[in-house]
Amino acid sequence: MIKAEAHREGIREVPEPEEFLRFTLGQRLEHWVLVFTFLALVTTGLPQKFHEAAPSLWVISALGGIDNVRLFHRIFATLFIFESSFHLGAIAASVALKRFTPSMIPTPRDFLDAFDWLRYSVGLSSRRPEFDRYDFRQIFEYWGIVFGAVIMIATGLMLWFPTYVTRVLPGEFVAAAKETHSGEALLAFLVIVIWHFYSVVFSPNVFPLDQSMINGKISRERMIEEHLREYMRLMGIKELPAHLSSEPAAGGTAEKPPGG
Amino acid sequence: MNRRKRGALSRLLLGACAAASLGLVFLRAAPVAQSAPPPSPPAQDPNASCLRCHLRPEIAMTFPNGDALSLTFNEEAYRSSVHGDKLNCLDCHERNRRYPHPLPEVSGRREYSQAQYELCKRCHFKNYTLTLDSVHFEALSKGFTYAPLCTDCHTAHAATPIRESRTQIAQACSKCHEGIYEAYSSSIHGSALREENPDVPVCTTCHGVHNIPSATTASFRLDSLNLCAGCHADKELMDKYGISSNVLKTYLDDFHGKTVGFYQKEGTDVWPDQPVCSDCHGVHDIKAVDDPESRVIKENLLTTCRKCHPDATVNFPSAWLSHYEPSLDKATLVYLVKTYYRFLIPFMVGGLVLYIMVDLWRLARNR
Repeated sequence: MIKAEAHREGIREVPEPEEFLRFTLGQRLEHWVLVFTFLALVTTGLPQKFHEAAPSLWVISALGGIDNVRLFHRIFATLFIFESSFHLGAIAASVALKRFTPSMIPTPRDFLDAFDWLRYSVGLSSRRPEFDRYDFRQIFEYWGIVFGAVIMIATGLMLWFPTYVTRVLPGEFVAAAKETHSGEALLAFLVIVIWHFYSVVFSPNVFPLDQSMINGKISRERMIEEHLREYMRLMGIKELPAHLSSEPAAGGTAEKPPGG
Repeated sequence: MNRRKRGALSRLLLGACAAASLGLVFLRAAPVAQSAPPPSPPAQDPNASCLRCHLRPEIAMTFPNGDALSLTFNEEAYRSSVHGDKLNCLDCHERNRRYPHPLPEVSGRREYSQAQYELCKRCHFKNYTLTLDSVHFEALSKGFTYAPLCTDCHTAHAATPIRESRTQIAQACSKCHEGIYEAYSSSIHGSALREENPDVPVCTTCHGVHNIPSATTASFRLDSLNLCAGCHADKELMDKYGISSNVLKTYLDDFHGKTVGFYQKEGTDVWPDQPVCSDCHGVHDIKAVDDPESRVIKENLLTTCRKCHPDATVNFPSAWLSHYEPSLDKATLVYLVKTYYRFLIPFMVGGLVLYIMVDLWRLARNR
């Protein structure tokens, strides 16, 4: 961010940086903690859902039996709850310190972006939407994770402490919690495996791996391509250069980096 | 085997001749009262010489330790037993060929039975071998005097095919397991058995016959699911009584069953703390689920849950769906959640896959 801060003042004569800092070390660490807990929870959870499948049995045996698996699942669940609370706390702190930039709050523009992106992708429109720090897909995924986490933590705790839950709620809620926990888990797992893995590993744009969550950096080229509005804010550019504002019709020439 | 048979045969012939000659003498000496059966044994009966004494009601003996034993033979019962037309006295009581009979070299009646029962394995070797794996044999080898021998269940002289009447089986076991028999007789299974219902389990259905395993091991506990499912997952049989045959599947899909199912598959000998069928339904005293005494009828379910969940309150038992698959009228909320994800997941996955395909198509076009 520090480099970018310097450029926010918009001294246009300074040569543009080749790389931008996309994620701070703290954000990256937080992400990998999340990756680790998520995978651990999936590994110890899904075999319980698909208890009749052979691979499930293999996983459970490898981890030393169902009792161990349950114990591990609850340990990682605790870690996950702490991680989520930390995330919430960090946001609360940044709001309190008036340093909060609402980059993940969905706006009407994001919905328009989604619609425009679809039209652009199938060739109905030649206007390519430009994105800020996070595009509509990333925002959607973020809130998916947030709601997913809320559902998983709530239902998980209900399954962990059924006798406390049923002091207040009908017993059927426990059974419903189990069904929810199980369905939501599978959904989250599939979204991550299909979509997130595509975005950060398999997509031709980033293959073999988008490294911004490792080294925290993003190239200027990708910054302009994928986060143009953020780029302009950082560089203090008010208006788009001509070669960026008007794209040729879809199916036309390649999307060249600027200055090419 | 053949040699033994031949030996027995020649002995039989000898015995028969002796008996016949004795019988003839006897018949001449005392004219028979025609009007009074019991009929005297036929002249060729190889057992006649034994029966001469052993049909008398007063004949008895006392063992060195004071045990009294009547030596009166119930011929009618023996004749109608499975051995009645196959074995003669001396086939089992070989040592008594001599007269006066040598006294048994044991101190008491029980010891005599224990010494004698080994004879059964001469013909019933397979079943004898099976008993060696049983809890009964284990007790016997620990020196438990009253551990059952062949003759305790089958009797010595009146052994009938025990399959003929299933109540007989329960009664045979009840000689020692009286408390369990009482509980069983009042259970849904036992009370139906009294009407000779051919479908209900008797003792041996669950416990085996000769190789009765201990019922207090982890492996028996785990296997008990399949034991119950043997009948209760049999649709045809359960339809006959209007009972669900889906009980095993619904159990295995739920909290308790998943864990126990894994224990089963792991093949561990961990004692499952999670409940198996018998923990909620009872073991020998299983009642119909609508019986007011049933442990799983709604009124009693909380008490049953509290055995493991002591802090459970009145709402708690309905967390268990009572072996029902969720549907619109049973466990509606669960059914709705299930349906929601059943549609949402394919919809979501389809959408994401479609997105990826469109994205790849765009990239290919723009290359």
